[in-house]
Amino acid sequence: MGLLDPLKGFGVTFSTMFKKVVTESYPEVKKVPAPRYHGRHQLNRHPDGLEKCVGCELCAWACPADAIYVEGGDNTEAERYSPGERYGRDYQINYLRCIGCGLCIEACPTRALTMISEYELADDDRQKLIYTKEDLLAPLLPGMEAPPHPMRLGQTEQDYYVKGPDLAREAGQRFTNGPQTNGSQEVQR
Amino acid sequence: MNATNGADGRDARVGPVTPVLTKRWMSPRSWTLKTYEQLEGYTALRKALRAHPDQLIQLVKDSGLRGRGGAGFPAGMKWGFIPQNDGKPHYLVINADEGEPGTCKDVPLMMADPHSLVEGVIITAYAIRSHYAAIYVRGEALHCIRRVHAAVQEAYRAGYLGKDILGSGFDLDVVVHAGAGAYICGEETALLDSLEGKRGQPRLKPPFPATAGLYSAPTVVNNVETIASVPYIVNGGSGWFRTMGTEKSPGPKIYSITGHVERPGQYEAPLGITLRELLKLAGGMKDNIPLKFWTPGGSSTPLLTAEHLDVPLDFEGAAEAGSMLGTTAIQVFNETVSVPWAVMKWTEFYEHESCGKCTPCREGTFWLAQVLQRMLRGEGTPEDVETLLDVCDNILGRSFCALGDGATSPITSAIKYFRHEFLELCEKNQPALAGAQS
Amino acid sequence: MTVAPEQNQQGEAPPVPEGHVRLTIDGVDVVAPKGEMLIRTAERLGIVIPRFCDHPLLEPAGACRQCLVEVEMGGRPMPKPQASCTMAVADGMVVRTQRTSPVADKAQQGVMELLLINHPLDCPICDKGGECPLQNQALKHGRADSRFVDVKRTFPKPIPVTSQILLDRERCVLCQRCTRFSQQIAGDRFLDMLERGVHQQVGTSGTAAIEGAGGTGEQSYFSGNTIQICPVGALTSAAYRFRARPFDLMSTPSVCEHCASGCAQRTDWRRGKVMRRLAGEDPAVNEEWNCDKGRFAFTYTTAADRVLRPMVRDDRSGELREASWTEALRTAADGLLAARKKNGVGVLAGGRLTVEDAYAYAKFARVALGTNDVDFRARPHSTEELEFLASEVVGTRLDDEGVSYADLEAAPAVLCVAFEPEEESPIVFLRLRKAARTGKTRVFHIGQWRTPSVEKTFGELVACAPGAEATVVSALPLRSERADVVEALRRTGSVVLVGERAAEIPGLFSAVVRLADLTGARLAWVPRRAGERGALEAGVLPTLLPGGRPVTDPDARAEVELSWGLRPGALPARPGRDTGAMLAAATSGELSGLVVGGVDPYDLPDPRLAEEALRAADFVVSLELRHSAVTAHADVVLPVAPAVEKSGSYLNWEGRQRPFGTILEGTGAVPDCRVLDTLAVEMDADLFTQTPEATADDLQRLGVYSGRRPDTPREPASAAHRPGQGQAVLATWRQLIDNGSLQDGEPHLAGTARAPVARLSAVTARRLGVVFGEPVTVATERGAVTLPAAETDLPDGVVWLPTNSGPSAVRRNLGAGHGALVTVTAAPTGGEA
Repeated sequence: MGLLDPLKGFGVTFSTMFKKVVTESYPEVKKVPAPRYHGRHQLNRHPDGLEKCVGCELCAWACPADAIYVEGGDNTEAERYSPGERYGRDYQINYLRCIGCGLCIEACPTRALTMISEYELADDDRQKLIYTKEDLLAPLLPGMEAPPHPMRLGQTEQDYYVKGPDLAREAGQRFTNGPQTNGSQEVQR
Repeated sequence: MNATNGADGRDARVGPVTPVLTKRWMSPRSWTLKTYEQLEGYTALRKALRAHPDQLIQLVKDSGLRGRGGAGFPAGMKWGFIPQNDGKPHYLVINADEGEPGTCKDVPLMMADPHSLVEGVIITAYAIRSHYAAIYVRGEALHCIRRVHAAVQEAYRAGYLGKDILGSGFDLDVVVHAGAGAYICGEETALLDSLEGKRGQPRLKPPFPATAGLYSAPTVVNNVETIASVPYIVNGGSGWFRTMGTEKSPGPKIYSITGHVERPGQYEAPLGITLRELLKLAGGMKDNIPLKFWTPGGSSTPLLTAEHLDVPLDFEGAAEAGSMLGTTAIQVFNETVSVPWAVMKWTEFYEHESCGKCTPCREGTFWLAQVLQRMLRGEGTPEDVETLLDVCDNILGRSFCALGDGATSPITSAIKYFRHEFLELCEKNQPALAGAQS
Repeated sequence: MTVAPEQNQQGEAPPVPEGHVRLTIDGVDVVAPKGEMLIRTAERLGIVIPRFCDHPLLEPAGACRQCLVEVEMGGRPMPKPQASCTMAVADGMVVRTQRTSPVADKAQQGVMELLLINHPLDCPICDKGGECPLQNQALKHGRADSRFVDVKRTFPKPIPVTSQILLDRERCVLCQRCTRFSQQIAGDRFLDMLERGVHQQVGTSGTAAIEGAGGTGEQSYFSGNTIQICPVGALTSAAYRFRARPFDLMSTPSVCEHCASGCAQRTDWRRGKVMRRLAGEDPAVNEEWNCDKGRFAFTYTTAADRVLRPMVRDDRSGELREASWTEALRTAADGLLAARKKNGVGVLAGGRLTVEDAYAYAKFARVALGTNDVDFRARPHSTEELEFLASEVVGTRLDDEGVSYADLEAAPAVLCVAFEPEEESPIVFLRLRKAARTGKTRVFHIGQWRTPSVEKTFGELVACAPGAEATVVSALPLRSERADVVEALRRTGSVVLVGERAAEIPGLFSAVVRLADLTGARLAWVPRRAGERGALEAGVLPTLLPGGRPVTDPDARAEVELSWGLRPGALPARPGRDTGAMLAAATSGELSGLVVGGVDPYDLPDPRLAEEALRAADFVVSLELRHSAVTAHADVVLPVAPAVEKSGSYLNWEGRQRPFGTILEGTGAVPDCRVLDTLAVEMDADLFTQTPEATADDLQRLGVYSGRRPDTPREPASAAHRPGQGQAVLATWRQLIDNGSLQDGEPHLAGTARAPVARLSAVTARRLGVVFGEPVTVATERGAVTLPAAETDLPDGVVWLPTNSGPSAVRRNLGAGHGALVTVTAAPTGGEA
């Protein structure tokens, strides 16, 4: 060990003072992840507030970690949660199991399930990490109405799927992202 | 559709022109028993009842009479399939559910000369040892149903029907049954189902009607014209019958000529006559607008063009030309007609008349009609032509009965001869353009 | 092709001996029985040809055209591809399926594309998704994308066909499986095809009503099968709607607990809850069918009134309170020991037990209670029936003299006596119909009217007044006008089926036995409940020990004592009391205690007596699933496991063992045999019935009785009552779907029950002043039942009521049964019952 070696050490310390800080002050300052980050799931809504989820369980089928539990339900004229016949009556994702692979998103036939950038998925209670439908549903935007309510954008579910974006635009709804062209998640917050 | 006012070939040059099947049509009140009896009516019956039934079957076999309903199956052979001494009742069913677009020979025959059919029915029933015959007449032909019904009543009164006909000990009851307006009931097994009171849908074959037909008993199903030919064969003999027509397709035939000709109507001629000769009989093309295309035997037979004017119109000749003789319903179209439009109309007919039993016909005709309608609206693409051909290929030979096959004939033959007309419809939707639009 | 070339025309002698032919499928030589369809021959080779309309148990239709293959006959290729589901094998045939023939493959892909053009492709919301033949075959034999860009044909959807079945006409591929099932198998005018072409649709006059026409609301007891055989999601179950996906479900083979048919079933469950039940495959029993009760009635186990914890009646409040097993068993044991010491304890076991549980009751009665007072018959019963069962039924085995389903199918004639096949044993009904439909079997019914069972088995009715059945059966050989019945029964293989109703008609069992002896026809007893035959074999009767041993036979008792490790002479030698006698004894105090299994007092011939007995008895222990009229009087209630939560076996009417395993594990529910075993231990007796397996072993070790059988019953035939002024004789039996407690909690099933009506002949109605369609009141001194009157071909002076349907609870309200005298009056319209 040379005589000047301790000074070298101070040199490293000193020079570092002028470099960019790599430390993140999480949780005081939250970092914004990459746009396609696989964070928490969200269950999206149609522009009138009806749920996009039809309770088909394809996400649960696709899930390699068996983290998703879905139960379908039957829409009635009196109590409608989604356009069409079927809705997701019960929807749970167990974040203790979820590996964030995104296969569920690919499996979703109605783009009801997407992933948002929220990544704070830790807790000290296992029970709290099972997110239920209330936790996962997208917040209501202006112009949306909390289901159950009748279909507002057309007579049948076809209108929602075929003409949905146009109808929404006609209704003056604000789409921050426009029609989905870049394959990224819908940002509805 | 005029029934009997066409010339019957009396003054034409071709073949033995003496009319046979239509010889009484121009007589006053030709449909009455009185007229019929004056014109050697029911003489064949008396002769037949003296013969042994098997002799009659042999006679018809020798005459080479082929079914006039479209398929051309030898009538005598069909009768011979009926098992004898099996302890079951036998039935004779006359298929008078004439529904093929363009076909209009049976209805005029039954209108003008119903007794020739009734006499044929009695002789045939005697030959196959049947004591019950049904004439299944197309429901829409109400006037015709009444006339046949009246003829049957007349025959009953005159002792030609009922118990112990003409003292021969032979009993026969004839029922005139009205269909309810389904093209499919012209298919023999669907007709039998309909006659039994069920939904008119074709049955699985085998068993064939000859072994298990009406009420699961041996049944002969024959066309009106076939049966109406029988009395003449009995009177004239098989040799005389063979002097008309060709070797394999002997006998006279009623050709129905409709469309753009000067004198549309029924023209009786020996089998094997050509359209060129028939056109002469019918006074040529209307207003001398040239012929564009024609069907030799209704819309289910592939259409032919002006180059087929000399095709002999018998079962073999039509087949050789890539078509079928069918019901000899010759629909003539001149240059003013759009082929895709005509094909679309026919296809809409098949879509409407498909019984729905089998997938290819039910779904295929629905699809074909939509594609053709779209093309006619100017929204087709050249790929649609290939799609049409491929869908036709998926229907032809895959469907349960011949209706599906027949539905493809106009399309495939039209594209074969007039592909350019289909492509012209799609011109503004050329691939490059179509691609840019999407 | 090693066979010498021969004429291959149809109808001639088969060219290959033993009725087989040789052909080639995809290059593989195969010998197939003549008449077999190509699709099935290929299947045996492991070559699966896609199909929709084809079903092995239905007649071929050839409608979907999905199974096209190329066929070469006698060296000549057939011009068109052939539907392999309608083409029978022939000698020298060369078949190329989609695996070797591009033509067949193209044809199949083409048909698949056509099938999908009008299909809504709504798999994500379709209940069939994941188990759908259309989905699977489209992925395997279809194109990846469709060329169809036009407008699909649509229908309003879903529409209810019945309360159980929803119809989605857009998804339908019109294969006609459901309509053929209705017409051929069930014989109901239930579903049929409507309209034509692309608008062709499955429907009933009821679905037509939705579109404007009138409807009659057809129902079928077998409609659930159409859901199961539908190859797409066109017919779906209302009860299972959106409940689960196939990958959520655990499928466990099971056996139906409802009737004595013994259907194999498949129970699908998710997270400890049964989601649905399907018919299982068992060619020897139910083929691939079951009835709607078996399919849909399973929600009773999750009813709110289910007993989950042991309960003891509180001394102070007189109410039942939850208790620990230890406390409850101790209390029960003490009470039973005291009652045994006083005047003895009787055991009412009920007819819904597994063989193992029934055996535990039989052993418990003999070992722990020291009595022969044990009976499983929670329904009208008679001593004559007891004699009949002991002499004719118990111990008959399938491989021996027992009648089987196959025997029914092969029988030249079947006589149904006091037995309503469709209502009481639906699978027996389906077999009878199948047998009769082929024309081989003549089915005769001795009953009161041309019921649907009679109609649909193409049956011939020998009608008589209720109660006169015995006289009629006795007189059959004497009456020349019905000589054909006896003549038909004389033919080898003929069968006489007698139902549980026979116990209500004195002399009928004796008469039936005599008729069977006279004609040589074989005799079978078809009880209604699933556990009755098993309980009979397990010795849950006052006169029979397990294995059909008469209690009066010292050798038989010694055998049992030896096997059970009892001291000689420990088993009581006197026959015990039957259900009715026990109840009477309990009422009068001659019996101090009662152990009651799954018994509903309102099923008993005299419910009032039963309730009095339960009230009067010093001590009542109830082993129950749900709170009932018994638990209301019980001092201790011990919860037992329903069939899904335990293992065991039933014996069906044939005597065929129908074993099943536990479906829902770990629910904590214990079977009756375990409860009784522990209770016996508390009473210082050992049953060795801790588990159903151990119990079965114990029963097995005991073997069957080899001694002389008791004599056949010889009761004189009784005559029917003569109705007086304003009176009629009551005919009654249960309908399949009724108020039974095992059908609770399933409104969809209840919606398909036959409407309860009171049936009378026109003459009777006129005599009694009853107007058809108007309400009529049938009464006894005990009570009255009011139902709309319906005209029926009943004998004069007879009124028919369903035993337990809707407002018609015949036993509870009238205290009467089949053959009783009732008064019949026209009810004031709009008035109260």
